[in-house]
Amino acid sequence: MNLPRHALVLLLREWRAGELRILLAALVVAVSASTAIDFFTSRISQGMQQQSAGFLGADLILVSPNPVEPGWLEKARTLGLRQARTLEFASMVVAGESFQLAAVKAVQPAYPLRGRLRVTDRPFGRERQTADLPEPGEAWLDARLFSRLKLQPGDSLEIGDKTFVARRVLAFDPGFRMDLLGLTPRLLIRLEDMAATGVVRPGSRLSHHYLFAGKPDRVATLRGWLQPRLLNTQQLIDVHQGRRTVGAALERAEHFLGLAVTVALVLSGVAIAMAAHRYSRRHYDSSALMRCMGMTGGKLLGLHLLQLLLLGLAGSLLGVLLGWAAHWGLLWLLADLLPPGPLPHPLSPLFTGLLTGLAVLAGFALPPLLGLRRVPPLRVLRRDLQPLPTSAWLVYALALAAVLLFMWRSSGDLQTVLVLLAGSAAMLVPLGLLSLGALAAARSLGSLLGSGWRLGIDSLWRRRGATLAQLVAFGLVFMAMATLLLVRTDLLESWRDRLPADAPNHFLINILPDKVGPLRAFFREHGIESSRLYPMVRGRLAEVNGRPALQAVPQQARNHNALHRELNLSWSDALPPANRITAGRWFTDADRGRPLVSVEASMAKALGLEPGDRLGFVIGGTPIEATILSLRQVQWDSFRPNFYLLFPPGVLEDFPATWMTSFHLPPEQQETVSALVRSFPATTLLELDPILRQVQRIMGQLVLAVEYVLLFVLAAGVVVLFAAISTTLDERLHEGALLRALGARSRQLRHAILAEFLGLGFMAGLLAALASEIVIAFLYVQTLALEPARHPLLWLLLPPAGAFLTGVSGYLGTRQVLFQSPLRVLRRT
Amino acid sequence: MESSEFIVQARDLGKRVPVAGGHLDILQGVSLGIKPGESLAVVGESGSGKSTLLGLLAGLDLPSSGTVELAGEDLGHLDEDGRARLRGRYVGFVFQSFQLMPTFTALENVMLPLELLDRPAPRSRAQALLARVGLAGRTRHYPRQLSGGEQQRVAIARAFATEPAILFADEPTGNLDTTTGEQVIDLLFELNRERGTTLVLVTHDSRLASRCSRQIRLHAGRLLEQP
Ligand SMILES: Nc1ncnc2c1ncn2[C@@H]1O[C@H](COP(=O)(O)OP(=O)(O)O)[C@@H](O)[C@H]1O
Ligand SMILES: [Mg+2]
Repeated sequence: MNLPRHALVLLLREWRAGELRILLAALVVAVSASTAIDFFTSRISQGMQQQSAGFLGADLILVSPNPVEPGWLEKARTLGLRQARTLEFASMVVAGESFQLAAVKAVQPAYPLRGRLRVTDRPFGRERQTADLPEPGEAWLDARLFSRLKLQPGDSLEIGDKTFVARRVLAFDPGFRMDLLGLTPRLLIRLEDMAATGVVRPGSRLSHHYLFAGKPDRVATLRGWLQPRLLNTQQLIDVHQGRRTVGAALERAEHFLGLAVTVALVLSGVAIAMAAHRYSRRHYDSSALMRCMGMTGGKLLGLHLLQLLLLGLAGSLLGVLLGWAAHWGLLWLLADLLPPGPLPHPLSPLFTGLLTGLAVLAGFALPPLLGLRRVPPLRVLRRDLQPLPTSAWLVYALALAAVLLFMWRSSGDLQTVLVLLAGSAAMLVPLGLLSLGALAAARSLGSLLGSGWRLGIDSLWRRRGATLAQLVAFGLVFMAMATLLLVRTDLLESWRDRLPADAPNHFLINILPDKVGPLRAFFREHGIESSRLYPMVRGRLAEVNGRPALQAVPQQARNHNALHRELNLSWSDALPPANRITAGRWFTDADRGRPLVSVEASMAKALGLEPGDRLGFVIGGTPIEATILSLRQVQWDSFRPNFYLLFPPGVLEDFPATWMTSFHLPPEQQETVSALVRSFPATTLLELDPILRQVQRIMGQLVLAVEYVLLFVLAAGVVVLFAAISTTLDERLHEGALLRALGARSRQLRHAILAEFLGLGFMAGLLAALASEIVIAFLYVQTLALEPARHPLLWLLLPPAGAFLTGVSGYLGTRQVLFQSPLRVLRRT
Repeated sequence: MESSEFIVQARDLGKRVPVAGGHLDILQGVSLGIKPGESLAVVGESGSGKSTLLGLLAGLDLPSSGTVELAGEDLGHLDEDGRARLRGRYVGFVFQSFQLMPTFTALENVMLPLELLDRPAPRSRAQALLARVGLAGRTRHYPRQLSGGEQQRVAIARAFATEPAILFADEPTGNLDTTTGEQVIDLLFELNRERGTTLVLVTHDSRLASRCSRQIRLHAGRLLEQP
């Protein structure tokens, strides 16, 4: 017998008769979701990579006080990476009578490897992007330098022995590091001009920056190669370290997308399993018949497997095509944000899509189909005979294999998936019992209602098995959707919280003590709301618990920055916003003047410090000792003044201090900035707007991606609902016809159907609320690093939402029952 | 009794099934031989074990005791796949509930056994058979679009499609009204005569039974000798 041809013929006949639609729909959703997500996460992550690389001006930066071995750069060349070198140093810049310390960066023509410089032609003029760099002999400088040095574009200035023409105003430099210590006004010149300045002498403090950009895997290779070769004084900076805000958001977004893909796949898998179950049940009779006609069990299995394979190929191809199309839709939506150009591996999502389709189908549809092989032929005479159930182990093994495959596929975020899985699995038994109880309660309640409603609830009870299965399926769907929605909302909120519209966009540092009063007055006068003014005293950490700090800290902490440079020490009576005590307690009024200190938690962890440890500082030659009273978690991306070390008031007041603050100023009020710079010439003003805008663009991009992906999860959920409803459709149709034959009016039937599905959805919603709370609690703490939150609304909204969704789709899915001719009972085929 | 004399031979058949709190003997000590070309009616009231006997004779099920030989092969020595092959080669079925494939048209239903056995020209043969049972115009209709009598005629066409040596019919008129039933039975006998098929007809209708060349009666799982 020609099995493949038969399989194809049988499949086509099934299709024509409309029997394969749900199975195919589930498959197509699974594959198109995973393919589309695959396509555009690779685009988006590529895009985000490049956007945030735009912050650094490169994918990877090696910072070194001395030139590095040529072999290192040769290695990068052989990896096919683009390179650029910059030299950074602090230098006095002189223009006529005025002079000012500036952070000078000397660049090569290749700079920046990622991102673009933004310039204006006049101070505070209109910003534009440029691919140009200063010509040799030119300098581009910060607007603040223009005003401090009283320069106009075209005037000349001196760095060391060389004279430069101040050409343009540097508004944004992607390579600018948002490190408050280094934030003196910036100035850009060409590397060729360096020698002529004569600033580079033995012993001068220089920082050599080697910038690399290229294919992500090559960059990773280089990073891995460099890491073990680095000296203590050298440092690697990549996208993730480069920008804390974006880095954290990026990581969370990647987690979320991976989570969403997994959920979409598992949901589609559930839909496929249900559709396949119904498919195989419908085929008990035909399989028994074919066995009567002389077909062996092996051939029957072969026939079904081949059909499955054909269906899998067709569905996966369709899904891949749809996924491809959907991904173009997204590209169109995000046209402004995504990088143009081809995918890195344009074909691999196609193959993984096909593979995913076949794997999902095999994992979820094979188990029920395997039973068909063992349909007893005697079933043609006795309809009650069922095939032997397929071994439970086989079923679990296959489903588990499928799920494992998804985990591997969806970026290997094993932990999240395991939490979701374990959460669902652990809840099955109690949920089942709970729903049985709820069902019994609903039943006694139903007896108070009209006959139609009672019929519906009774039929839920009669079909307990199917009802439980549907409850769990619906509960799972609602749980998955609610979880994703909540995670999404909390994720977006956490991002928005970090960057409120009035986030401080200016820092003012180097405020001398005698200017604090006038500055407050200035703020008041111009209606500017600033954060507090914090004093800053510079000091070194010299001792821990009476021993030299370098010896007292753990071996691996000896390179820590805090031990090798001056630290900013500040004091405050109130815990600053965006700070949270993680150990010990904050200062009280009684602590005023006592030698106590609060340490930032990650630094304390790195240095092995705990409350009660004594820290010895040297401030301007004077030693001072303080005991750690508390550890603080600091939200560094809050764009507010933040400090590693905070003292109570009354300890550091005698040391020379400068002050700092941050404030928000809408762009329209640029004139006020000029006024501020003019009134307080000695202070340093840092503008964060370019950075903030960049961050906000990336956030917007993430939000869109997240919502688009949710659409697929929604589609998968809807398919599950329909699949679950269709599993009992045959039975319902027959019952409906029977009830009509017995004289039921269609109103009663409608009530019965509605009662069933509303009840089902309500209970599923309750179960889902419970399950979501538990899963979310795990997820937030474990993977997403969000503050755990209760969601009381969940309990209020999920049951009615579940009832509504299930009611509508149940009613639509089984509406035919209402129009059943009672004749159907007589002509059942 | 020479075994070659019979196309089906049953010796001392018994079927015992477990039921709540013990077991039930559905068939006991049934022995019987069926000669090629004869038509045998199995009668008995509902629940007497007729379908069970038919299932055993056709090799759809195995007896708890006794043996069945079909076309010279002892069914007890074959596994389910071996019995399936034997059925494919020698046996045709007509059922009370028609058992048509709901997603196949009438024509495709008749073609199915031919396709499964890789017989040549399934389409034209099926068309000829449908014409023979008077449904030439309904080939593209689905079972649900056909009346009960029409469905059963499709089932008969399908049963004869592979030219089986023996045809088992389990209450083929049980779901049909008297007139339609008569027509279906007429058709069954006509085809039976035309093709020299052996016919085993299970029915509780003694009028139908009387049209067969031989009758046996089952009562509570035992064979009653016929007058
Ligand atoms: N596997 C079984 N388990 C329990 N009872 C059975 C089984 N098979 C048949 N029976 C019972 O045996 C009796 C005979 O069945 P059957 O052969 O279908 O009778 P008939 O076809 O003559 O109406 C019936 O009462 C039926 O319920
Ligand atoms: Mg019977």
